[in-house]
Amino acid sequence: MKLRILIADDHEVVRRGLCTLLQTHEGWEVCGEAKDGREAVEKAKLVRPDVVILDVGMPNLNGLAATRQLIQQNPQQKVIVLTITDSDQVIREALDAGARGFVLKSDAARDLISAVEALQQNRMFFTPRVNDMVLAGFLDKGHNGSNGDSNSPTLTPREREVIQLLAEGKSSKEVACLLNLSTKTAETHRSNIMRKLDIHSIRDLVVYAVKNDIIQVQVSSPATQSTPGSAA
Amino acid sequence: MPVRILVVDDHPIVRHGLRTLLGGRPEWEIVDEAEDGIEAVEKADRLKPDVVVLDVSMPRMDGLEACRRIRKSVPKSEVLIVTQHDSPQMMREALGAGARGYIVKSDAARDLLAALEAVSQHRPFIAQNRGQVNDSE
Repeated sequence: MKLRILIADDHEVVRRGLCTLLQTHEGWEVCGEAKDGREAVEKAKLVRPDVVILDVGMPNLNGLAATRQLIQQNPQQKVIVLTITDSDQVIREALDAGARGFVLKSDAARDLISAVEALQQNRMFFTPRVNDMVLAGFLDKGHNGSNGDSNSPTLTPREREVIQLLAEGKSSKEVACLLNLSTKTAETHRSNIMRKLDIHSIRDLVVYAVKNDIIQVQVSSPATQSTPGSAA
Repeated sequence: MPVRILVVDDHPIVRHGLRTLLGGRPEWEIVDEAEDGIEAVEKADRLKPDVVVLDVSMPRMDGLEACRRIRKSVPKSEVLIVTQHDSPQMMREALGAGARGYIVKSDAARDLLAALEAVSQHRPFIAQNRGQVNDSE
């Protein structure tokens, strides 16, 4: 029987690349595609893939929150997270959410096949940096259970979903609609988040979401900074 | 004769995707790939492609600088920027650097073929709903 893979990335060009790459492997098939985390969670319910490959930076529901929901939906679900950065924060979140594979997008063409193979054999696959971190965390465990998280208050998975949508500019009403909540409940989540994080404006909330990799912003640095060295 | 294309992006997976989107069409030929601006300039010089499909954010040399250099050294090669930056400012910078077309990665599957067709005929291509370009070139 074929190994069935669901892929999620908001860029179709990347999905095409992933499909091409994965379908070169005998015995694997891409059984579904999604363009954000929410769609991935919905499709996984329908198509029941063996492995889900999720980009981290996606609109509506990012890959980390989607991982959490996928594992909640099916604790055996194998998830590989695809990311442009292996920052401590993203690694920690991905592991915490239950991802069993972690691949840098820049290395995907090289590592993704090995990652899927590893998961297929019930092993995990991490970049060297993640391996180091996991090991360090393991060795450190005796000292301090949840190391390093002192400045990040605990948000519930639902609050993380809400914070992403608010940071993407959606109103409480739109959040309510997307998450099937009443507007009042969405507003309660919003005020709980602001209280927990001790922030008082949407601007600060956006800053928090960016700093904590809940949303990713495109920095147009090449354009704005390229002029000094632009001699042809 | 097919349109000869050089594909430039630092992520191999995106290059795979671009290849797939262009795949199987005899009118397009991908002559080579490059993974940063420096390699792009060097390969454009050597291969003189009709179109360079160029990412913006890349290590060593970004796509805008590469675009300027390619347009200077191989004026016959047109540049189509394919970027994740969905901003009018970046678009203007790209056109200012000599690019003939500008599309956003999230819409590449929809826009790539039309953009290549236009650019290979030396016509400008700006993706719809990308804001208006008042200062094209």
